[in-house]
Amino acid sequence: MKKALTLQKNLLLTVLILMLSFGMSLLMQKVFLIEEHITTLFVFAVFLISLVTDGYTCGVSAAVVSMLLVNYAFTAPFFMLNFTIRENLFSAVVMIIIALLTSTLTTKVRRQEAIKAESEKERMRANLLRAISHDLRTPLTTIFGSSTALLEEGDRLSEEQKVSILRGIREDADWLVRMVENLLSITRIDSGRVQIQKTSTVLEELVDSVLVKFRARCPQQPVLLDLPEELVLIPMDALLIEQVLLNLLDNAVKHAQGMTRLSLKVFTLGDQAIFEVTDNGCGIPTDRLPSIFSGTQAQDERPADSNKRSAGIGLSVCATIIKAHGGHIRAENARDGGAIFRFDLALEEESHEQQV
Amino acid sequence: MNNKYKILLVEDEANIRNLVSAMLDSAGYQVLLAGTCATAKVLYGSHRPDLIILDLGLPDRDGRVLLEYVRQEAATPVIVLSARSDERDKVEALDMGANDYITKPFGSAELLARVRSALRSSHQTMSQEYLPGGKFRTGDLLIDYDARRVFRGESEIHLTQTEYNIVAMLSRHCGKVLTYTAIIKEIWGYPDEGSTKKLQVNMANIRKKLGVRPGENHYIVNELGVGYRMCSDDDHS
Repeated sequence: MKKALTLQKNLLLTVLILMLSFGMSLLMQKVFLIEEHITTLFVFAVFLISLVTDGYTCGVSAAVVSMLLVNYAFTAPFFMLNFTIRENLFSAVVMIIIALLTSTLTTKVRRQEAIKAESEKERMRANLLRAISHDLRTPLTTIFGSSTALLEEGDRLSEEQKVSILRGIREDADWLVRMVENLLSITRIDSGRVQIQKTSTVLEELVDSVLVKFRARCPQQPVLLDLPEELVLIPMDALLIEQVLLNLLDNAVKHAQGMTRLSLKVFTLGDQAIFEVTDNGCGIPTDRLPSIFSGTQAQDERPADSNKRSAGIGLSVCATIIKAHGGHIRAENARDGGAIFRFDLALEEESHEQQV
Repeated sequence: MNNKYKILLVEDEANIRNLVSAMLDSAGYQVLLAGTCATAKVLYGSHRPDLIILDLGLPDRDGRVLLEYVRQEAATPVIVLSARSDERDKVEALDMGANDYITKPFGSAELLARVRSALRSSHQTMSQEYLPGGKFRTGDLLIDYDARRVFRGESEIHLTQTEYNIVAMLSRHCGKVLTYTAIIKEIWGYPDEGSTKKLQVNMANIRKKLGVRPGENHYIVNELGVGYRMCSDDDHS
């Protein structure tokens, strides 16, 4: 479908540019009585067409059509085809060469842009993997060490000690589960490279699912809700967006020190749904704001204290997911203190839905 | 209640098998263990378990083969163990007749609640939600099948025909996850382009009429991307 669309766009552009130059040539010839530069005009048209369309076909066919047009309309005998005129054949060859060269150049530039985008993605993924593998070691050490202790020294430990060791195992296992879920989210995006699988999701059901899961993790932390009254449908990979919201809520619980209010607000603006996770905690240090979604500063600034680990990874997963959905994510500090994380997703188009 | 139900556990990972069987054993169930599809078939044939817990990724055959095999002759409840990432597998297993699924990793409480719920829904007469006189109750929600009326506490909830049909269908399969496709097929016959949207709109209206808020849905659990499930009383306790 996308292919058909680009083909349509290419054809439309070609015809439009050719018609324009034909019109201008007529104008030049009939009104201003200039005849010499008509071929130049068409050369320019062919150049433009090769520049804006994909591949060689449009440019080359435009060159041939231009040659015929110039021959037919603008060289004597007027409004008749005559293939014995040398200049005309010559300009046709020039135009075809220009079309070929321009198309080659633009294709090359486009390919380079794609490679650049790809390597940017690759870099982000590498950063993430490095940070994650680093972080995996700590909980694994605890789990391995604790279970060994229980197995080997079990009889010498008091009941209380055992419970506290077991609790540590569960906490770290729980942390690992979340980490793996984040990793899975990323692989979901990678395997569906071209586009993620979007299904039309009811906002209320998404939020319901998020809150049920969040409550299981943080039963003590209420979340203030502000949702639109009407039914809102958003095409998305619901599991991934659920992950984003959970990460943002988790992030607030973990990092917004002094937080007394955590809220989730969703509203629609034009053809977009805007999600906001707001807390009234300590806010984000301004020097961290620019790179907060990149997952890089987590390593350098990671405090020795293990509670703070994984800072940034959750957020960079959020950024990856939202980007894959074609949306934008931003973090900022509220005027009255606290952090705001905001992202947008396109709403379902009404007309599109009827076509499907 | 007699707890000596026989449960067939089909799982190839020895660690998970040990763990789950310990959980079930300590809850007083009799557990049969199988590590392959072939063993599971033999055990199923000779013991006729009351419930099957099935991991879909088995070494010899796909777990779905076993599900299909069991469904050909009996309505034995089947709970599928699955990883989070493959919700399409979940939907497929549910549409093939599985009763429920549990996402790995899971805790003991969650597993036992699902097991109880699945066992009860397969013995509807023994289950406490279905009251004599064609009535159903979960929490403070009461459905009168004969009169086609729904009450929350003392007050009646006025549902449209379609909304009532959906609620009634979910309640008849209380505790079981019903996929979008399964509900659409039962309520509207064959699915068409707009039917998912129709179901979503109806569910939104039902939620509004029941007065539930996101995150506090006590009657109908929404399993994102999979379907809906009516809570059993067990979920409320």
